Amino acid sequence: MNARGADGPLAQARRWVEADGVHIDVRGLQPPGPLVAILELVESIRDATPVIVHHERDPQLLYPELAEIGWRAVRLDAEAGEVRLRLERVP
Amino acid sequence: MRLAAGAFIGGAASRLLPASIPFRFFGAAVVYHLLAWIALGADPQRVPRFAGGLGWPLAALHLVTLGVLAMTAIGASLQLLPVATRQPVLSKRWPAAIWWLYTPGVAAVALGMGIPAPRLLAGGAVAVVAALAAYALLLARNLIGARGMPVVIAHGWAALASLIVVLASASSLAAAYVGFQGLARGMALAWHVTFAAYGFMGLLVLGLSYILVPMFALSGAPNERRARVSLSLAVAALLLSASAASGAAPEPLRIAAIGTGAGAVALHWWLMSIALKTGMRRELGRSLALVRIAWFMLSASLVAALGIVLAAPFDGIGALFGLLLIGGWLLTFLLGILQRIVPFLASMHTAPGRRKPPTPSSLTAERPLSIHFGCHLAALAFLAVAILADSPWIAFAGAVLGTTGALAFVTFFAIVVRRMSIPGVNGKRREAPAS
Repeated sequence: MNARGADGPLAQARRWVEADGVHIDVRGLQPPGPLVAILELVESIRDATPVIVHHERDPQLLYPELAEIGWRAVRLDAEAGEVRLRLERVP
Repeated sequence: MRLAAGAFIGGAASRLLPASIPFRFFGAAVVYHLLAWIALGADPQRVPRFAGGLGWPLAALHLVTLGVLAMTAIGASLQLLPVATRQPVLSKRWPAAIWWLYTPGVAAVALGMGIPAPRLLAGGAVAVVAALAAYALLLARNLIGARGMPVVIAHGWAALASLIVVLASASSLAAAYVGFQGLARGMALAWHVTFAAYGFMGLLVLGLSYILVPMFALSGAPNERRARVSLSLAVAALLLSASAASGAAPEPLRIAAIGTGAGAVALHWWLMSIALKTGMRRELGRSLALVRIAWFMLSASLVAALGIVLAAPFDGIGALFGLLLIGGWLLTFLLGILQRIVPFLASMHTAPGRRKPPTPSSLTAERPLSIHFGCHLAALAFLAVAILADSPWIAFAGAVLGTTGALAFVTFFAIVVRRMSIPGVNGKRREAPAS
């Protein structure tokens, strides 16, 4: 499986755009698929557009990777059983 | 609520243990690593033809296996398995209690072997076995009802079963030193070596690799079906080896075990190669270089094992096998992983509330790791030459190089821990990106 390929984690994740940013739903992906899909999406963004992540658990391994590339996560309210984060560049 | 590296630590639902728990295991492993090389240098005469028996080479071996390998495995699995299994650790007191029992127990075992002092060895063995049994219960509790990552969980169960065999055989071997007879020594020794190195440690390493290597390379999860086949082959190899040690058709069964084990290794290596080849991150530095070398050494250990079974005409084949298996594969692999996960976990665990949290690359220390890399590989090469040439002096030189490398690794660890506690360490990047 190629991380960037047609069968890679980003291709398997559901994505859509809303007014508050680019959304990605990584629920159901096998670890480390969610981590890879989120980072691949984040690295493809060249402007200040935030990324809204819909996850089934707290993505603990994501935070050091985000810090390394100058991004951070903000916890948003979500329904029970979902962890929702807004990822944004650190100004 | 802003979350940075580590901000989730305070969450009630967090599956991460407090930093003090994994770091106390990693810290002890780093110190025992240094002591292991010193112990090896204490009696270089016996190193090139080492074939067991009380003394400093046996102490050095157990400082590595118990003090570094199992110590790191406990710390890493307590930290990572709850993430894989989606189950929190039963209690935070258990890991701390295990450390307090296990760490002095390992010191007593090593000292008892080195001096030698059989009663001290037996006392230490009781503490070590009790601590590992408690860890086995904690591991089992975490694996029961685990959700997600079934391949990692299956490896965890197989490693746990191996640990039970290791504890039984170790108890029998240690009891024999103070006059109690248990299992036949030859069988207990064969089970102990095989199930400790290839079973408990080996299967934990293979299983956790399915999390760690794709995580480092930023690749998709390895093919689950093939990973299961690799595990099945590894378990079959262990069972064949155990049957051979019991006395039934030992030579054909051992050859079959080595062949089956080689199949498991080849499949695992292939899956890992795919993860590395297809990952988003291609520059993985010297930590992954050590991991690649370790995989090669694992394969080489199976060739050496075949040499033992076929009675190769070389007196040092047993020592060479031990070097490839313990030093070449397991120690090299764990040091490669440790230098990567320590700054990563330090970043995750750094207290929340900082506007700019420290990155893993700002917490690491490249220069000590560079020194360690060179010294570690040179030490292994010197020991291999010492065995081939039957030279205690070359073995001593290898131990000196290993000690120097271990000191550099202690320095690396101390720097990371110090930087963890310095506010604003990420204000300016101190080092090149993590290896």
